[in-house]
Amino acid sequence: MAVEPAMGLYRLTKRFGTTLAADNVNLEVPPGSFFGLVGPNGAGKTTSLSMAVGLLRPDAGGARIFGVDVWQRPEQAKALIGVLPDGLSIPERLTGRELLTYMGLLRGLDKNTVAERAHELLGVLELLEAERTLVIDYSAGMRKKIGLAMALLHGPRLLVLDEPFEAVDPVSASTIRTILNRFVGSGGAVVLSSHVMALVEQLCNHVAVITHGRVVAAGAVDDVRGGGSLEDAFVHIVGGRTGGAEGLSWLASSSD
Amino acid sequence: MVGVLVRLKLRVLRNSLRGRQIVGMIVGGILGLFLAVFTVFAGLVPFDEARTSVDVLASLYAVWAIGWILAPVATGGGDDTLRPEHFALLPIGRRKLAVGLLAASFVGVTALVSLVAFLGLVTYGLRLGTGPALVGLVFALLQLVFVVLAYRLMMAALGALLTSRKGKELGVLLVALTGLSGVAINYVASSLGPAIVDGRVPALATTVRILPSGWGTLAVRAAGDGDWGIVAGLLAGLAALIAVMLLGWGALLAKRVTSPSFRGASRSKAAEPGKRARRSLLPETPIGAVAGKELRTWWRDARRRVALLSTVMIGVVIAVVPSLSGGSRAVMLPYVALYVVFFASMQSGNLYGFDGSALWHTLVVPGAERADIRGRQLAWALIVAPVALLLALVLPGVTGTPSAYPWVLGLVPALVGGGAGVLMLQSVYIAYPLPDPRRNSSPWSSGGRPGCARVLLMLSVSLLLVVAAIPVVAVLVAGSVLHSPVLRWAGIPVGVLTGTALAWWWGWHAQQRLAARGPELLSTVSKER
Repeated sequence: MAVEPAMGLYRLTKRFGTTLAADNVNLEVPPGSFFGLVGPNGAGKTTSLSMAVGLLRPDAGGARIFGVDVWQRPEQAKALIGVLPDGLSIPERLTGRELLTYMGLLRGLDKNTVAERAHELLGVLELLEAERTLVIDYSAGMRKKIGLAMALLHGPRLLVLDEPFEAVDPVSASTIRTILNRFVGSGGAVVLSSHVMALVEQLCNHVAVITHGRVVAAGAVDDVRGGGSLEDAFVHIVGGRTGGAEGLSWLASSSD
Repeated sequence: MVGVLVRLKLRVLRNSLRGRQIVGMIVGGILGLFLAVFTVFAGLVPFDEARTSVDVLASLYAVWAIGWILAPVATGGGDDTLRPEHFALLPIGRRKLAVGLLAASFVGVTALVSLVAFLGLVTYGLRLGTGPALVGLVFALLQLVFVVLAYRLMMAALGALLTSRKGKELGVLLVALTGLSGVAINYVASSLGPAIVDGRVPALATTVRILPSGWGTLAVRAAGDGDWGIVAGLLAGLAALIAVMLLGWGALLAKRVTSPSFRGASRSKAAEPGKRARRSLLPETPIGAVAGKELRTWWRDARRRVALLSTVMIGVVIAVVPSLSGGSRAVMLPYVALYVVFFASMQSGNLYGFDGSALWHTLVVPGAERADIRGRQLAWALIVAPVALLLALVLPGVTGTPSAYPWVLGLVPALVGGGAGVLMLQSVYIAYPLPDPRRNSSPWSSGGRPGCARVLLMLSVSLLLVVAAIPVVAVLVAGSVLHSPVLRWAGIPVGVLTGTALAWWWGWHAQQRLAARGPELLSTVSKER
């Protein structure tokens, strides 16, 4: 029997009104891989990832985490993943430490483990200075970091991160990259979505391109990008056209 | 400049009118129009004394002006369709911008409705002759300029404070407390109105005449009496006042655009870590963790505080106000505890709506549904039960009706338990989205209010509480009929038993539903309105 993929999406379909947000999405994330999901805005990245972790019920198709069906056996599947959704609120009126303590106890960890891990995570992610600030007053970057801490707390085998680097300052981004690389190095798998090609190219070893709700390319980063950069390959695959060269002749020429 | 800004405002208004907002605007407009027409008619009533008309109209216009001035506080920021910041980078003079923005402020339902109300000056003037009617028209327009400017000044002065989270929460609390108390409104409607008509409150009458909102009425009256000197004086006064306000507003605008907005004090801090008395009382289990989080959230979230405070208010008002106004003296008073529990379960029956999209974190934790439901029930009961018990123990004794004790003490546990069940049933089955607290903490901002059908549904679910009361009532009635003190006091254990059973049973239902339809609930409550 072949090794079970860390995450497998099989013919996932979701329709919102007249838009087909996910159209027969098939995707396999190999265990131990650092997987980037890229696509233009509104391509269906968030929809697909939400269906993969059990936050959005698909109209058709299924999702498996290490071979465990997310929708048939949610309890086993959910124990294996850590999730960082994009743009959703978290229990807002708690401090970072209260939030992590709460999440840990909710996950059934014992009190001492929770306290230890929460302190370590807050330290590594440099959130200790904001010890008394409620999450609702966090900056966008801090929210991403506390969300990542929530996802890591129970020691999952797969991390599913939606836009983990958006609005994160360069220093924190570097911290997060190091943490994620260590996680992959020790056998975990990471799936992240982004529309920053350079970041995906630098970080990931596998990539899938999704547009209009369909996976149009997937595989090792080197295979997908061919000879050029991932960005060129992406524009080519998505069928976009880099505009900006025509018109605007009046721009900055009026100083003469 | 003026034309561009007015057209821009109209365009934004038209683009923002979608479905529910249209309904809200129409309903609000009709309500406002109703009040305006009422104001106009108040000017037409032929009172015995001429003085009375002036007092009544001046009082009503004072209320309109106060409404305009308080509106930004009540709505958490007021109308900021066009903000001065939007134009900060354009090469437009400060005065030009101020005039343009002011002109744009007149575009809207509220200004239109107010104009209708102020035209009451014209109809009042018509009773006195053509001259006074013309004076009324001039003053109606000036009065509109005055209230809109006052509103703008208020917004500019409080501006940054109001857009900060803390400021909004403060406003929400303030308005909720005054508005929901109902006592004030009741008092004004039932005693102050007639008092003004009878001329029994000269101090108030003088005040509303001195306020600029009353100058129009005074001027029309003076014109009717032929005192054109007074008319001219009042006209000059109001015009000068408007000029000064316009200058002040222009200055505030410039300041608002160029100085950083007020942010620092908007952060609320948690208590020093270490004070963990409350925490340590709860077990270190998933359920205990949820209950702890809920208790903190009830305490720290203004919207939830309002829900609970208004609960107590409504309960107290319903029970106390009839007792105060004579008649059936203190009949309801011993039973305030029951009202409080009933309204507490109804008011807080949208827990997932309060939390919005934060529900995702429950859905990704395996088996967290049970802990979430039970923890929320526990936290709610921990808040409501002590208050209800205290009221139940104190009030019957204080009001001299000890015969109420078996009823209250038996029904409180039954209702607290049933309420904890109904609370979760409502939260899970008829959740509705509220505005995202990260962006807007005013519960009165557009959208997020339950529709009429939903309110009816919530009410009917709340009626399940009647079911919770049946066993206790049955035992107590049997006790009364059979004159058995044992049976009468047996209501207490029966109440505790029914309460526990119902909290468990209905909570279990909610849990099954949450486990089965969690993703659907998430998309319901995280819907942006």
